Amino acid sequence: MPIEQEEQSDIAKVRFFAQGYHVWRGRAARLGFFALLIAIWQVAASLELWNEVIFPHPKEVADAVVLGMRDGTLPLAIQASMQRLCMGYGISLLIGIPLGLLLGRKRLLDDTVGSLAVGLQALPSICWLPMAVLWFGLSETAMQFVIIMGSLMSITLSVRDGVKTIPTLYLRAASILGATGWRFYWYVLLPASLPAIITGAKLGWSFAWRSLMAAELLYVTSGIGSTLMMGRELHDMALVVAAMILIITIGLLTDRLIFRFVESLIHRRWGFGGRG
Amino acid sequence: MTMVELKNVSRVYLGQSGPVYGLSAFDLRIAEGEFVCIVGPSGCGKTTLLNIVAGFEPPDLGEVLIDGEKITGPGTNRFVMFQEHALFPWLNVSQNIMFGLKMAGIHKREREERAAALLRTVNLSDFSTAWIHELSGGMKQRVALARALIMDPEILLMDEPFAALDSQTRDTLHEEVELVWQRTKKTILFVTHNVREAVRLGTRVILMTAKGGKILREYPIDLPRNRYLEDVEVVKIASQIRDDLRHEVLRATKEEGYHAD
Repeated sequence: MPIEQEEQSDIAKVRFFAQGYHVWRGRAARLGFFALLIAIWQVAASLELWNEVIFPHPKEVADAVVLGMRDGTLPLAIQASMQRLCMGYGISLLIGIPLGLLLGRKRLLDDTVGSLAVGLQALPSICWLPMAVLWFGLSETAMQFVIIMGSLMSITLSVRDGVKTIPTLYLRAASILGATGWRFYWYVLLPASLPAIITGAKLGWSFAWRSLMAAELLYVTSGIGSTLMMGRELHDMALVVAAMILIITIGLLTDRLIFRFVESLIHRRWGFGGRG
Repeated sequence: MTMVELKNVSRVYLGQSGPVYGLSAFDLRIAEGEFVCIVGPSGCGKTTLLNIVAGFEPPDLGEVLIDGEKITGPGTNRFVMFQEHALFPWLNVSQNIMFGLKMAGIHKREREERAAALLRTVNLSDFSTAWIHELSGGMKQRVALARALIMDPEILLMDEPFAALDSQTRDTLHEEVELVWQRTKKTILFVTHNVREAVRLGTRVILMTAKGGKILREYPIDLPRNRYLEDVEVVKIASQIRDDLRHEVLRATKEEGYHAD
């Protein structure tokens, strides 16, 4: 018996290292690729094919980031953007998830409110800005409004579609287990549509992020979008590129850190087949 | 005492090529403590029958009485074991088993005690905190059985619950169902396409017509229990039913042929 156990643990070790090897090889490849891109950028800038004002050196961009971080303008801009985003996105989630659950269950509501949501989703969120400014003035509320209108529909509709594709088997099981009324919504419908809710939240996040950047670009206050616009006005190309890289970084970080984590949790619980 | 009574029940589906009768003018009485098995060729309406008794589908005509009362939808006095397990993937094994009690507002300690006892009954004590996707097909159906038993329903409805399992696993589960039925004397309505399974388990086997949703013949099974799939008597009765079934299928195919001409 002890021999077998040892063999088993050896197999587990080999598996572990094999998996680790694939993960690290992937990471190394990615890192190498981006290093190569920066090197090409460096060479292109050194050749001085274009004017330095329109094609900055990688080092200038890095300096712009470091300087911005040091003098506190970039952290402040990030903070301002993130506060707006979390507020607007949070409201979207609070309205969108329950609304989506209801739309998925109530036929009449889906035929009316649901079709309105589908219609509004066709409108790019930045088109709400003129209306928002007329209603709320040049204020934070106007920005929030644009973020909410940009992300609410996609969250609502993803959750609704998720509810509609819950296997009938679960719903039937719920009814014979005595899950009725609010208990049905809380203990069956909400967890059963969790994969769809995560999809909706992720989609909503990227819509909210895009809406916010568009709004900050068009209407200068504070925030990373405004930093980007300021770079244009000052003809500071390094700052423009720095702001763009920051925007990408924040988008990627939230995707990797928050959504990937939650998704992998759910996949583990549901097994590999998604909804099996 | 009559536990389940179907009176003149009809259920029609509108198919692409005209109406299809799931059930038509269907009468059936099941006494308390009976173990009734429904067999028939696929598409004969046996699952429709079960869904109607469960309350998942309303009958177009007629009525279903449980304990003398007309049903209007699903209820906790009837529990269904589905062909696929229908366990909730977001809950672990014991949470799945306790779910019905939680909905009934039963105290946590009592829920846990009853779930632990049932896990022992179905031999899954070591798996109480496992996730559903970690279990094999047979284990899933055992959890489904425990989840059904904890509800203590008057009637157990089983829709080919063992069809997807290998024969060894099925044998063990037959024994478990047999034990449960002998111990609790619950009324069981069991749908299957496996004739021998029906004879092994049932006190009565009902063969349905291939089309039109009617009863073709009934077979009381008076063999002593426990029976096994290999028992000579079981095999003998099963082969008679299978002959009748084969004739019925042939008759239906021929009829279809005439229509096609």
